[in-house]
Amino acid sequence: MGDVLMECMEIFSQDGVQLKSAQATYVNYLNLVGTLYITEYANSNCKRCLEWKPNDVTVDSDVQDQEWAVVNTVQKRSRTFSESQPPDASTRPKFLKVNFNDIKSFKISNKNRQLTIFDGKSEVTCCFIFQHGDCDYLLSLMRGLLKTVSAKRDKHLYIVIHGDDPETAQLDKSFAELNIFQDSSHPSWWKLVKNFQERPYETTFETFSRVTDFVYRSPDQRDIDDDQRELLHRSLTEYASTHCQGDYEVIAKVPELPERKDYPRGRPLSTEQWKNLQNHEGKLEDVDQIKLMIFRGGVAPNLRYEVWKYLLDYFPWDSTQVERQKLLCEKNDEYYNMKLQWKRMTRVQEDNFSDFRERKNLIEKDVNRTDRTLDFYAGDNNPNLQLLYDILMTYVMYNFDLGYVQGMSDLLSPILHLLKNEVDAFWCFVGFMNKINSNFDIDQAGMKEQLQNLHTILGFIEPQLVNYLDKHDSGNMFFCFRWLLVWFKRELSFEDVMRLWEVLWSGLPCDNFHLLVCVAILETEKQALMENNYGFTEILKHINDLCGKLDVPAILVKAEGIFHQIKEAEHLTDNIRVILGLPLVGTQPSPEEVISISPDSPDEDPYEQVYNTMQHIIT
Amino acid sequence: MSYAYLFKYIIIGDTGVGKSCLLLQFTDKRFQPVHDLTIGVEFGARMITIDGKQIKLQIWDTAGQEAFRSITRSYYRGAAGALLVYDITRRETFNHLTTWLDDARQHSNSNMVIMLIGNKSDLESRREVKKEEGEAFAREHGLVFMETSAKTAANVEEAFINTAKEIYEKIQEGVFDINNEANGIKIGPQHSPTNPSLPGAGGAGGSQGSSCC
Ligand SMILES: Nc1nc2c(ncn2[C@@H]2O[C@H](COP(=O)(O)OP(=O)(O)OP(=O)(O)O)[C@@H](O)[C@H]2O)c(=O)[nH]1
Ligand SMILES: [Mg+2]
Repeated sequence: MGDVLMECMEIFSQDGVQLKSAQATYVNYLNLVGTLYITEYANSNCKRCLEWKPNDVTVDSDVQDQEWAVVNTVQKRSRTFSESQPPDASTRPKFLKVNFNDIKSFKISNKNRQLTIFDGKSEVTCCFIFQHGDCDYLLSLMRGLLKTVSAKRDKHLYIVIHGDDPETAQLDKSFAELNIFQDSSHPSWWKLVKNFQERPYETTFETFSRVTDFVYRSPDQRDIDDDQRELLHRSLTEYASTHCQGDYEVIAKVPELPERKDYPRGRPLSTEQWKNLQNHEGKLEDVDQIKLMIFRGGVAPNLRYEVWKYLLDYFPWDSTQVERQKLLCEKNDEYYNMKLQWKRMTRVQEDNFSDFRERKNLIEKDVNRTDRTLDFYAGDNNPNLQLLYDILMTYVMYNFDLGYVQGMSDLLSPILHLLKNEVDAFWCFVGFMNKINSNFDIDQAGMKEQLQNLHTILGFIEPQLVNYLDKHDSGNMFFCFRWLLVWFKRELSFEDVMRLWEVLWSGLPCDNFHLLVCVAILETEKQALMENNYGFTEILKHINDLCGKLDVPAILVKAEGIFHQIKEAEHLTDNIRVILGLPLVGTQPSPEEVISISPDSPDEDPYEQVYNTMQHIIT
Repeated sequence: MSYAYLFKYIIIGDTGVGKSCLLLQFTDKRFQPVHDLTIGVEFGARMITIDGKQIKLQIWDTAGQEAFRSITRSYYRGAAGALLVYDITRRETFNHLTTWLDDARQHSNSNMVIMLIGNKSDLESRREVKKEEGEAFAREHGLVFMETSAKTAANVEEAFINTAKEIYEKIQEGVFDINNEANGIKIGPQHSPTNPSLPGAGGAGGSQGSSCC
């Protein structure tokens, strides 16, 4: 493609870039891998573009003409690589192309491996995953070529300031600095800026009220300068005088959630049911059904000893009795090998290994401060404290990169308490950690992402509450930190912790169901928080004080109801689908173009599949 | 219970130095060494009397582990007083004081009163940090200093109450703007904000325990 480079300059290219989401036009290209370029055109007013080309794809010509129809309304479609190719339509490669002028903001996520571009007109303009390494270099290029500011609330979100129109630039910038919107909803803020006068009713009342609240209620608390305030004020008064007829007319435009239904809890999985579901080799016959029963009712206490080993991926669900026996032997050896590694460490070795020593000291201190009020761990020289210590130390050797972070002893404690066996407890703990090890990232990135996701989902279910929290310095959701870090271990009784955890371990009905549990609790507390007009301190304190007052079965009923509401909502957005692991539809569907991609494999949603057939068994 | 002022305190310092034990000793007058390690933040409160006025201390006990730092920092702001704690039996907890101090100064208001505390003074035989070192550090950074023991309760009352006295003096001197809650001071419900020098309800001397908040 030498001639291509003469037509336009390629500033950057990287292969192994997967298209994760894009406009509906590109639905056939989703999940394909290709090359991402930054290109610069000499004789065009569309100067620089971000272009993506799938590997070895020929294009059906009908899609070609719609290419970036949305993005390129301003200019004529610019030259693409394909135009320098022989004019054989059937072999022309298909490009996805975004003009730099149309990029309103972009976001880096997923350990710098994911780039999402927003043009402000659609939910997500396109999103790429970098399969070979990260996009740090691309990011530095883009920040060099575009004028950007980081959003205050999310430093991974870069808002582009386009210099061509000074007033827009100023307004854009003031919005960026105000940062009244979460990044999840931020495309609507660009829509808001653009369409203030032309299409006011498409900007929802919700959005508008946030702006007015911000501008009118608390201007003196924010560090925006007078020019910006004046500018905003002008836009808003113009808006108000031209368009406000009935005060709350627009409310009806806020999309409504489907009705909340109750999904009553079932009975715990019983020994009899469990036995009946195993064949003569001791292999489980219908795993999906078992998981669903556990999700619906948990596990009978006397059966936990066995079932938790499956739930925590120690025993494979499809293993036979013989295979499990073999596995036990292997895992036993493996454990003691690792244990010997730290047991045999000499004094000098330890002195020369500060990372190890630090972890050891911390574990020593923390096993003495974990559930010591339980009989099982009470008293001085309790041998179970030694078990707790040995398992955590061995885990340090098993996963040195993660090592030991506070909170882990809280997660191990109920497992050891139940299994009472060092090796089994270790491997089950490993399984639990595999599910939530990002909680213990040293920079807390995993926790922050979860808190952000919680904010996003809560905003979908309870926009009013999220709005309230944002205005009361609690939009970062830090007050839910302890809930998420140790999965409510500190808030619930030991029995309730076990019940909640096994339900969550079932992995049903979606990814990150624990976030919906949080949403259910917050929704219950909404009235208390808002009616008392609680501020930052009181919110934190109120949530902290819920400790010991939470009703787990009621919360689970609610959380499941919320799941169905979200799933069936017409205005469900891809960012929430991603969080919950629901199949993506590429873009936000409008009535004319509803594209749905069905999951590749039907067992991706066992919950859905088995749900109906299960109803009679449960009740 | 009614109060003339409410002061917000934070307790900060490395994990395991005894922050939660100090709080418990101050609010409940007991030493519970098997108390769970702190995740995020926990609250305590107690009423004290200074100059005949009832003052409610609302105390935020933060988690000390490094990994939680970026979250716990968000709890600093709007504190009128801070107890910065190290463990006299572990030198590294003393070595980390500068980091803690920088962090606290950066994330809270500049008038915040900081009390430096060398805890576990009952463990004299295992002492690694001399009292003089603590004093020198405090002098250099303009802090008040005290050695305490959450176990024997030695100096625990004094640490919390002396900090409150300093804050109170600053209020009298007009250093703190008590009408701005961001300074970690709130005027009691029965007091008019425009006349903060009104005497407190009931001049009962001595401090009394109370775990309400
Ligand atoms: N001898 C003695 N031991 C103490 C004293 N204060 C605390 N300890 C011990 O030190 C341990 C840690 O104390 P905590 O109060 O839990 O420490 P912390 O600073 O709150 O730690 P984090 O919550 O992890 O930040 C306790 O389990 C006590 O055994 C003291 O004054 N004297
Ligand atoms: Mg503590």
